[in-house]
Amino acid sequence: MIRFLLKRLMWMVITMWVVFTISFYLMWTVSPEGALLSERQLPAAIKRNLEQYYDLDKPLTTRYFKVMGNYLMLNPGPSMKLIDKSVFEILKEGLPISVSLGVLGLSFALLIGFGTGIVSALRRQSLIDVSFRMIATLGIAIPNFVLAGFAIIIFVFTLNWFPAGGWGRPIDLVLPSLCLAAPFAAYISRLTRTGMLEVLGQDYIRTAYAKGLMPTTVVLKHAFRGAILPVVSYLGPATAGILTGSLVLERIFFIPGLGSHFIEAVLQKDHPVSLAVVMVYTFVLFSMNTLVDLSYGLIDPRVKLDK
Amino acid sequence: MAEETTTNHSSTNSSSGKVLLEVRDLAVEFRTDDGIYKAVRGVNFDLRAGETLGIVGESGSGKSVTNLAMLGLIPQPPGKITSGSAMYAGKDLLKMSDKELSKIRGNRIAMIFQDPMTTLNPFLTIDEQLTEVTRKHLGLSYNEALDRAIEMLEKVGIPGAKRRVFNYPHEFSGGMRQRVVIAMALSCDPEILIADEPTTALDVTIQAQILELMQKLQEEHNTAIVMITHDLGVIANMANDVLVMYAGRKVEQAKVHDLFADPRHPYTLGLLNSIPRIDEEVGAKLSPVSGQPPEMSQPIPGCSFYPRCPYHIEQCLQIDPPLIQVDSGTQHACLRDVTALDPPVSQSAHI
Amino acid sequence: MDSLEKNDPYAAALPPIDKYRDMYNEAKSIRGISLWQDAWRRLRRDWVSMTALCFLICLALAAIFTPLLPLQSPREQYLATRVALPPQFSSTTKTTNEAGDDETVPVSLNLADLEGEEFERRVGELWSEPSPFDRVLLSVRLALFHDWCMPSLCGTDLLGRDLMARLFYGARVSLIVGLVATLVSLIIGVSYGAIAGYSGGIVDDFMMRIVDIMYSVPFIFLVLFVITILSEDSVKAQLESYGISRIVILYILIGAVYWLTMARVVRGQIISLKNEQFVDAARTIGASGLRIVFLHLVPNVLSIVIVYLTLTIPAVMLFEAFLSFLGLGVEPPDVSWGMLSEEGTRVITPVKIYWWLIVFPALALASTLYSLNFLGDGLRDALDPRMKNR
Repeated sequence: MIRFLLKRLMWMVITMWVVFTISFYLMWTVSPEGALLSERQLPAAIKRNLEQYYDLDKPLTTRYFKVMGNYLMLNPGPSMKLIDKSVFEILKEGLPISVSLGVLGLSFALLIGFGTGIVSALRRQSLIDVSFRMIATLGIAIPNFVLAGFAIIIFVFTLNWFPAGGWGRPIDLVLPSLCLAAPFAAYISRLTRTGMLEVLGQDYIRTAYAKGLMPTTVVLKHAFRGAILPVVSYLGPATAGILTGSLVLERIFFIPGLGSHFIEAVLQKDHPVSLAVVMVYTFVLFSMNTLVDLSYGLIDPRVKLDK
Repeated sequence: MAEETTTNHSSTNSSSGKVLLEVRDLAVEFRTDDGIYKAVRGVNFDLRAGETLGIVGESGSGKSVTNLAMLGLIPQPPGKITSGSAMYAGKDLLKMSDKELSKIRGNRIAMIFQDPMTTLNPFLTIDEQLTEVTRKHLGLSYNEALDRAIEMLEKVGIPGAKRRVFNYPHEFSGGMRQRVVIAMALSCDPEILIADEPTTALDVTIQAQILELMQKLQEEHNTAIVMITHDLGVIANMANDVLVMYAGRKVEQAKVHDLFADPRHPYTLGLLNSIPRIDEEVGAKLSPVSGQPPEMSQPIPGCSFYPRCPYHIEQCLQIDPPLIQVDSGTQHACLRDVTALDPPVSQSAHI
Repeated sequence: MDSLEKNDPYAAALPPIDKYRDMYNEAKSIRGISLWQDAWRRLRRDWVSMTALCFLICLALAAIFTPLLPLQSPREQYLATRVALPPQFSSTTKTTNEAGDDETVPVSLNLADLEGEEFERRVGELWSEPSPFDRVLLSVRLALFHDWCMPSLCGTDLLGRDLMARLFYGARVSLIVGLVATLVSLIIGVSYGAIAGYSGGIVDDFMMRIVDIMYSVPFIFLVLFVITILSEDSVKAQLESYGISRIVILYILIGAVYWLTMARVVRGQIISLKNEQFVDAARTIGASGLRIVFLHLVPNVLSIVIVYLTLTIPAVMLFEAFLSFLGLGVEPPDVSWGMLSEEGTRVITPVKIYWWLIVFPALALASTLYSLNFLGDGLRDALDPRMKNR
């Protein structure tokens, strides 16, 4: 276990370093002026000052090592667009919002996905199963910004269930995270159904029934664990998807999360901010993948972790 | 429907044990894409305390389905019990609700399945799987149930049971797992144990140990055992009564000695000819029962064994032979008296 | 000969040659059913998949032959007269004429009276620069329908453009992006997975470790970054001087994001296949490693690849929609379904709901992705009947 975590930690450092290096050189070689590019009309003196402030006058390799040193101290430096704000402050503002959106979205996805998936599997080929599957496929087949559009038209403008726009109250998170969860809930529902049907056909389920256990016990105690294994391994890609999805939903619902900052930063060439957000996302994704592998080992005793 | 013989008669021939289970006219079918598959077509038998009933037949003859159906373990749909009754303690198992049935399953009637590698849940430790039976049926606390589990594991011969009870199934070998399965099945002292090919997936040496274990436990608890197998050796060892099934029907039932000494159905004869015998001369040919069992999703005209039967006559195509009882108590479903006929040559001739 | 036959103790045991001949003839009369025939037979019985397949074929034909249809122009704007019309059933426009009276004029391409350079200019206005293939189709259309256009069955957008025409022309772009990007991911994924699986050992470990790491890289963010950079006018001009248009980059980038899972799946299959006897046979006759991989192994994993393909195309099309949403997808004058959906969501306001602008693009995307998903499921069941109903 410890060995596994240490090994993973090493790979995480390597991964983050690779991502850092690639992103850094990509950003600065292709648009070397960064956000200053759009401010050509600045007087030469001020521009020179700014360039000095952001170390733009130094060679790229020098800056690479300097920035890397700063990152190791968890200090990503100042933003180029929002002058006076450090990247760290931007992260501190955006991250909690995005994390709560993401966590809420993932929880909704798991809750809805497991529930409908299990019901589908138990009532296989029934009306309820078929309709769940139709809805699930719909969730997979519609871009989530379109879904969000429909949700806004229906729930905000027509039914008035949710407040329009605005940010700060917990209720403001519900609709966005539901929209965020939809495609993943759909996918998890499908995976759960498949897994459940596979497991329910196993001999040990028949044994459980032969032991005189009630169907609820059999499903929840004996079948569930095996059935959710595919879902667990899907959680890694799902996290990546949720990160992407939050970009869209933060924009549609005007949520000032990390995603919004990232899009702004990318469009305006605010390289320090983009780089920092990419690093945060890499960290989140890697941690989630490790967590998935870890829980895989916990759920299935036959899996050996040291690999 | 064809089986109208009374079973009262046979009871006079068998030893004393009280009748625990009476199965009458049981029929099961499966609805598949290719039509209705009639897996069991009217089977009768009695099971007595302390006795072993062997059920023999090739794969697909309906021997497992018969027993699964009794305990409501057939997935419905596609399966469907179309007729029959299985009386246990004055009640019909086939008409019980899930809740009533689950009080009997694992408690009064327990089952052992063929493949010990897949019958234990790989995600749960042995103690979890063993204690949940006794906690449910005997109302034990976890600690009591754990003591009971360890006791049972020791009884079935698992060394270091105190420690190993906390292991996962994959940490046991095949033979050990089957012992665990037996311990699990017997932990509520069931009256009836249904063993569905319990030794088929095991090594020969382990097979003998497991059978011995089952016999020992049967003697201790006076359990009735239904032994489903295609291995006539196992039958000769274990069974008191033998029931031969073919294409979903009972074609012969006899005392174990009578079955081997005086087989009455051509199929039984074929089965006996297909096993090697130690008293035969070296080089003697084994003759398997040639041909394939009938397609059971199609209606079968006359006797289902007709196409493979070396003794067949024209009449066999007209009626499905009813069960006939002979003096020894043996019942058989054949129009002809095979004991009075010469052994046929046709069967092995065209191989 | 005779003596030899007599001395041969096995001669009696050997069946006569006639028997072999009979067996051979019997075998010849039985026609084997290949995996594909068998799968096709099963697929044909599954009406959901067949409906999906028919829909996709119709869609593809419609996309290819779009210029043949009497649609309005996908890009001509009518800012004065046709802005944000809900679905129409007559192809007319209500206008006010010079005298100040209301009048109804038919929607027309206004091409009939034009000739020579003016005609060319007008064609450019209506369809930007049609390819030679499209020109042929357009001329057939003009010969058949002249200036007549279908009514705006799906309404018009805020610039007065006909939504139905835009949907049809968008289908071309969306489908092409979906297909080409998936093809790119397929080529990368299959080659990578096949080589890793066949090589085994350290090479396999190393290659799959790279894939593992890549799973933790937020690729989409890097892709966004690259695309923004490539959208710079200077970069774009430079790329075009090499003959690479932005959409090609888009294909490659999207494809490069979606190959990881394909590589894993293919590797797993190859590993289970490579110890089969036909591979040993190929090796004993001296086939090279690459030949074995691509000629003997890859065709055997084709079924799973095809199933996966039908599931990658929807993912890629959704990704294109996502890029369009961020304004980084295809660029005008091209249209894609993603772009149309984005335009639809952008005009959602509490004041007025232009429902047709979001419903129809969403319908187009959803029905296509729906069909692809169902076809994928059906194919999987058909190719692997054990998985039926799972």
